[in-house]
Amino acid sequence: MSTRRVLYALGGTVAVLLVGAILHPGFASWSSLRVMLVVASFTGFVAAGQMLVVLVGGIDLSIPWVLNGAAIVLTTSSLGQTSRAPLAIVLALGVGALVGLGNGLGVAWLGVPAVVMTLGMNGVMQGLTLGLSKGLTCASCGSYAPEPLRGLFDGALPAQLFLWAGVGLFMTVLLTLTTFGRRVYAVGVNPRAAFLSGVGVRGVTVALYTLSGVFAALAGIALVAYGGQPSLGLGDPYLFESIAAVVVGGVSILGGRGHYLGVIAGSLTLVAVTTFLQAQRVPEYGRLMIYGLVILAILFAYGREKAHD
Amino acid sequence: MTETSSMAPAQQESGSQTLAVRASGVDRAFGGVQALRDASFAARPGEIHALAGENGAGKSTLIKVLCGLIKADRGTVEIFGTEVSRVVEPAARRRMGVATAFQELSLLPDLTVAENLLLENPPRGRLGLVKRRGLGPAAEEILGRYGVDDIDPRATAADLSVAQRQVVELVRVLAGEPRVVILDEPTAALADRQVEWLAGHMRQLRDAGSCVIFTSHRWREIEALADRVTVFRNGTHVATRDTLSEAEAVTLMSGRSFAGAYPELTTVPQRESALRVKGLHSGRLHGVDLDLRRGEILGVGGLAGQGQRDLFLTLFGAQKARQGTITLDGKAVAIRSTKDAIRAGIAYVPEDRKAEGLFLPLSIRDNIAAATLSRRNTAGFVRRGAERTAVGSIVDQLSIGKGRSTNRAVDTLSGGNQQKVVMARWLLTDARILLLFDVTRGVDAATKHDIYELVGKLAAQGRAILYYSSETEEIAHLCHRVLVLREGRVAAELAGPVGDAERIVAASIKENHDA
Repeated sequence: MSTRRVLYALGGTVAVLLVGAILHPGFASWSSLRVMLVVASFTGFVAAGQMLVVLVGGIDLSIPWVLNGAAIVLTTSSLGQTSRAPLAIVLALGVGALVGLGNGLGVAWLGVPAVVMTLGMNGVMQGLTLGLSKGLTCASCGSYAPEPLRGLFDGALPAQLFLWAGVGLFMTVLLTLTTFGRRVYAVGVNPRAAFLSGVGVRGVTVALYTLSGVFAALAGIALVAYGGQPSLGLGDPYLFESIAAVVVGGVSILGGRGHYLGVIAGSLTLVAVTTFLQAQRVPEYGRLMIYGLVILAILFAYGREKAHD
Repeated sequence: MTETSSMAPAQQESGSQTLAVRASGVDRAFGGVQALRDASFAARPGEIHALAGENGAGKSTLIKVLCGLIKADRGTVEIFGTEVSRVVEPAARRRMGVATAFQELSLLPDLTVAENLLLENPPRGRLGLVKRRGLGPAAEEILGRYGVDDIDPRATAADLSVAQRQVVELVRVLAGEPRVVILDEPTAALADRQVEWLAGHMRQLRDAGSCVIFTSHRWREIEALADRVTVFRNGTHVATRDTLSEAEAVTLMSGRSFAGAYPELTTVPQRESALRVKGLHSGRLHGVDLDLRRGEILGVGGLAGQGQRDLFLTLFGAQKARQGTITLDGKAVAIRSTKDAIRAGIAYVPEDRKAEGLFLPLSIRDNIAAATLSRRNTAGFVRRGAERTAVGSIVDQLSIGKGRSTNRAVDTLSGGNQQKVVMARWLLTDARILLLFDVTRGVDAATKHDIYELVGKLAAQGRAILYYSSETEEIAHLCHRVLVLREGRVAAELAGPVGDAERIVAASIKENHDA
């Protein structure tokens, strides 16, 4: 059933592209697709983490400010210098891992509901980020991403896309070929039965939240690399986007079902819809409404499918 | 009798009198599975009518169609001659006097017993608002009317034992004094005493002219209670009879004949002790000693809720012990987690396979492999070939799912096969000590028989087996030795096979008379 959903999600992407191409010549041209792919890849990174926690019936609401915090750590620790880039990247990813670890420990050991734990952590990260950057956007601090990072987006096939392909490969291998992946689905479907089968339910949960933090940080790094500079509020759109991509991609919000291939398709569909609405000159408020309706329609369709099975 | 039974019951009885319930030509599919196929059923007012069949025969689906929970794809349903096939709404059926107690208990866990009992018809004040203070006394009155004195109406439903919840569910259904009562496996969670209680009330309703329909996997109960029996197989009506012997019934239900209810106990336990427990305190256990030998099937008996579950969960590391020692093969061990237990060679097969055993949407293979993942991995990757071989051989050995692909989701299997999947998972661990906790609950007769034989075979291989069952009969026939638990202690030890279940029951309650 979840493989069928991956096909639906891919079908959705193709359908939007086709309609767009008919109404707007050039909509599905390579240059336009290239932009859409790059934009979708940011959603794809955060959604990878979101998907992992959703698979065990959790959710990660700390994504926006983990992403934002990691982006600012990257620029402030590298100061735009190439030689400092590796250290800065490690630091930024480390921030993500640390926050994710905190989320995981809170959820798995202290039994704090995921919504509360990660929302609280989002607040902490927002406060930390605003405090340490003194509320200034870093445009005025003169921090930039190191030059080699910014080069990622040049070329006919941006390096960014190879990174996304790598994430896709990692996720697919992790979830389908490893014993860890088996345990993730087992915990997602029935945590009690998993526990009674000797699966370390808490350990799995902590690992997944940690990975989610790392993916949010990765998206932050990619975004500053793309834009050159971070801004405050950089991560705000990505909470909704990550959940939407996961859901559109056919991952069950109750846990236990879904593939990352579907999430890739979900990310692409979301970006294609946005691009199409922009091309139709639908004003911002209308775009937001239609966007929301599309997601509700998809959820409705998946809900009906379940009722039939 | 055989002549008439091949006819559809609905035709057979039309015109004779008004039927309480009549279904004819009912089809119902779930996904690709045809749960009911041209099924028919008829029951009269003033009778107790048992619905028998193996797991997956379509009993529960028929009940859901009758009580308006799901719609038939085809066919008609009549209640007292009124066609209701199009109405899919249990509340509408209830207004017609049809009340149903389901197998999956439908109490709201966070409400109190009183709130659950009076959910539909609470005492109201002048403004039509619920009189909260009236709830307790009203519930107490209802429980009292049914002679239930061991359940506090103010207790939260979630805090009750499974058996107590079932009693509340039954009282809720009975209290409406329905003209048609449908009870799906009402006794599966009940102790013998409570079964007697229920039987009394079922007879009372029948004598008052109501139609009582029930299902059970325990033939004893059907024999004792039912005025007529309808047998279902593969989603369709096979026969309706006034009397039916167990052997005949099993043949009708399974489509094959069936030799002997319990296999003979032929093995003899070895000398060496496999598991020794001293002074175990945990949950309701207050100092349990036991010595389980290799090749031995040791039964754990007693009334429900005397700490049996605590004993099994503690030995499996799923519950903390307050005190006591556990010795495996002569060495003291600390079992702090299920992982520790599995590593020490202990396996636990739970009673409630859906809640505690299975990953329903996952494949048969994933389900069977779940406890042994770390044995077949290279640097964290699953060795898929090894997994397929291991799972394939155990599936053949237990004949699970009639040779169909192990990629199929477990929820497409019948209940008996699902239970075998859980057993298979633990057999792959090569566990030397098997904790089998009510593994035949809700399992059809043919699969039960398979499980009895399997248990015997496992003991013959030298594995040590601790066996609990809510059916005292099983413990009486299958076990080399029986420990009777009472109030968290071992109250008696009987040499097996005990044979007569009454002896275990007597040992379970003896002290109560002395005290």
